[in-house]
Amino acid sequence: MDALSTLFYALVFPGFLFLASLALLFQYVDRKVVARVQGRIGPPLLQPLADFVKLLGKEVISPEGSDSRVLSAAPLVALAAVFAAFLLMPVLGPSPLGFTGDLPVALYLLTLPTVIMLVVGFASKSAYTSLGGARAVTLLFIYEVPFYLALLAPAIAAGSWSMGAIVEWQSANGLLVLSQPLALAVALVGLQAKLERAPFDIAEAETELIAGPWTELTGRRLAVMRLSFDAALVAGCVLVALLFLGGGALPGDPHPYWLVAVAVVLLKAFLVALVLIVVRAAFGRLRVDQFSSFGWRVLAPAAVLQVFVVLVTVGGGWP
Amino acid sequence: MSLALGIPASTVSSALRPFGPVESARATRHHVLVDPKDLREALGAARRELKLDHFVQLATIDVGDAFELRYILTGSHRALVSVRTRLPRAAPHVASVHDLLPPAGLYERQVHDLFGVVFDGHPGLSRLVLAEDWPEGVHPLRKDFLVEAAARPGAKGGT
Amino acid sequence: MAEIMIPIGPQHPALKEPVNFKVFAEGEIITRLELDLSYNHRGIEKAAESRDFTRVVPLLERICGICSHSHTTNFVKGVEEAMGVTPPPRAQYIRTLIAELERLHSHMLWLGVGGHEIGFNTLLMWTWRDREDIQDTLEEMTGNRVNYGTNKVGGVRRDLTQDQIDRAHKRFDTLEERFQGYAEMATQNPTIRERFQGVGKLTREQALALGTVGPTARASGVDSDIRRDDPYCAYPDVKFQVVTEESGDVFGRTLVRVREMMESLKICRQLLADLPEGPIAAKAPRTAPKADVISRYEAPRGELVHTILTDGSDHVARLDIRTPTLANWTSVAASLPGAHLADIPVVVAAIDPCLSCTSRVTVVDIHGRKPASYSWDELRAWGIDRHAGRRRRS
Repeated sequence: MDALSTLFYALVFPGFLFLASLALLFQYVDRKVVARVQGRIGPPLLQPLADFVKLLGKEVISPEGSDSRVLSAAPLVALAAVFAAFLLMPVLGPSPLGFTGDLPVALYLLTLPTVIMLVVGFASKSAYTSLGGARAVTLLFIYEVPFYLALLAPAIAAGSWSMGAIVEWQSANGLLVLSQPLALAVALVGLQAKLERAPFDIAEAETELIAGPWTELTGRRLAVMRLSFDAALVAGCVLVALLFLGGGALPGDPHPYWLVAVAVVLLKAFLVALVLIVVRAAFGRLRVDQFSSFGWRVLAPAAVLQVFVVLVTVGGGWP
Repeated sequence: MSLALGIPASTVSSALRPFGPVESARATRHHVLVDPKDLREALGAARRELKLDHFVQLATIDVGDAFELRYILTGSHRALVSVRTRLPRAAPHVASVHDLLPPAGLYERQVHDLFGVVFDGHPGLSRLVLAEDWPEGVHPLRKDFLVEAAARPGAKGGT
Repeated sequence: MAEIMIPIGPQHPALKEPVNFKVFAEGEIITRLELDLSYNHRGIEKAAESRDFTRVVPLLERICGICSHSHTTNFVKGVEEAMGVTPPPRAQYIRTLIAELERLHSHMLWLGVGGHEIGFNTLLMWTWRDREDIQDTLEEMTGNRVNYGTNKVGGVRRDLTQDQIDRAHKRFDTLEERFQGYAEMATQNPTIRERFQGVGKLTREQALALGTVGPTARASGVDSDIRRDDPYCAYPDVKFQVVTEESGDVFGRTLVRVREMMESLKICRQLLADLPEGPIAAKAPRTAPKADVISRYEAPRGELVHTILTDGSDHVARLDIRTPTLANWTSVAASLPGAHLADIPVVVAAIDPCLSCTSRVTVVDIHGRKPASYSWDELRAWGIDRHAGRRRRS
């Protein structure tokens, strides 16, 4: 791809502008569905955009003693990481920026926002934010390994570390949701935890820590950070759609026209998002130690079991 | 649905007579007036012998030359027994009972703020209900603390 | 991790009213706490001494929004006892009905707040939506959603119409179904069970020793309810159960409140079905003879006590109020050390704290006759000077 098209791909479609719009759209659906479940009306379609624009215009306040440059830079790094991860994903068909091994890279990039939360938590120099940042990382240690293992299973089955290849493999061998449901379940739980959504919104527990590491983010910093997490929701759901639901492929057509492919991926991602959204509405928040207990007793063993099963079946020559 | 229990006046009398005069308005309302120095013993006796396991209220009244403290207790027999004592206005000291009756920890702090009664032996008689910048030594619920009456119909000036 | 101090309050999202605790924690475990309750001080006990009985009623009503009827009923029945006045039966029934409606809306509010404290906002939205039915009933009957203004010495101020009664019955039917739903939700939702079971545990001995009252005490097996133990108003005429649980934790308190909601609904129905005819108030004298009364009431949060001294005039010589929340703070202070930070909002919310009730004693004198404007520091200095000056003069 020449430089101009690459730039277009990265910045407009399906890159930055497209992803940002999707992020706001998914935020709208999230808030609307939760509102309806709760018997409320919910915001109008453009609310997330309005909130974003409003936040950009608000005053940025840095608490005394905090590291202002870090607080300004951190949200941008998180945003960049999520966008980079998304660019690697084959949404129109194989990604022009994809390569063998792009799956672990995407996973790593998607882990960055949580690490950024830790950095922001400590840079804000407040008891609430430090505790929140510490919690975010504690959680990371609990769900991240099972999450990676759950996404490792499709890679083993397909025999490749490339997201494009895994999608291709499913066209020939059936959707991985059917052969690896345990991995999908663990991936969904891990994704919900990574995105700090109920029942795993422990780091920012409003009633205990004001807003955890988010407490001292204001104005455009807050706008960018929120956008990063919203984009991470999209990226995460797309990732699950790619690895388990066959990506942009249709039952009879492994390589549809790019417009169709995009629509199909988005539809599948949207379904995944709906599951995460309904879960958010249906539960309260767990305590750190309860999540820890759940993570080690349920999530990790499930993920390990799944990988084991896949290794055995692949090694045994079964598809 | 009323369970007419209560404690017979004679029982209350025999338990608390040694400490002071006992009056029983009815089976569910008794009170005894004790000397401040006998307060802890009287409360101990009341709890043990009259099975008063619930501390209801520490009521305080400014009666002019003294502050009257009323320790109101009850139990499963549903009678209210009020152990009262009077502290001279000039030196309102009495022993703290926070160890005998744990809720007294908070109640004594409140009485201290509002009346200036000093509870000797209380582990931390710090401000509880008055604002942090309220001046020391000014106790608002005393009768001589006058709240200026604005032109409010029906309010008596300077209680 | 070394010990850190986390200030909870006076402004904090877990708190609906200001209170300040300094929580000292090592990592996520609490080691100790310090309490400061002064923020809602308004000088009510003192103010009551300078007003006649009629004017004290609206004053007491404003001690608290959700237990306003409790304070006024407790006061007027105490004054009625001092005066030797008995309100007519219809008035007693109406008072009791409003009292139970208050208990209902307060417990529903609590259920929503409990859900909110653990991040379960769906429960908050649903319970508060249903609570609107009770609020509508109260508004139709008394003219207001909170601070009902129904009580006066001698009886009540407004009568009920048949239309109001019919509408209330219909709403009660809907609510009964919803309450069944909440009972199931509370007992079966996994996050509620995880976050409430085993948290804030108080044994029966501790509950008694610490002076705990209300649903908090009943959840620890303390069988005490003033409506049955020292009955007042129309309670002698109605049948209801006193709800207790043995677990002593926040989950137990949730169950107690949900079942109490169902009992209150039963009581309301009985009251409306048996509502006696007749006047709604007895004529009360302007002054009260010298008397010494202890008036007790089972407010939604627990036992409320007023010690009332009258002296032959038309106002009280002393009104000493002990609210249920003040009685329950000690149990919070006792059950928190050793618990997780995340449990603080849950344990605090479990006693259903009403800080406006807790802090309502004395002070306040805010009229400035000078037209100038003052900065915060100037106002504060002025206040201190005035008080110091007054002390010098007296």
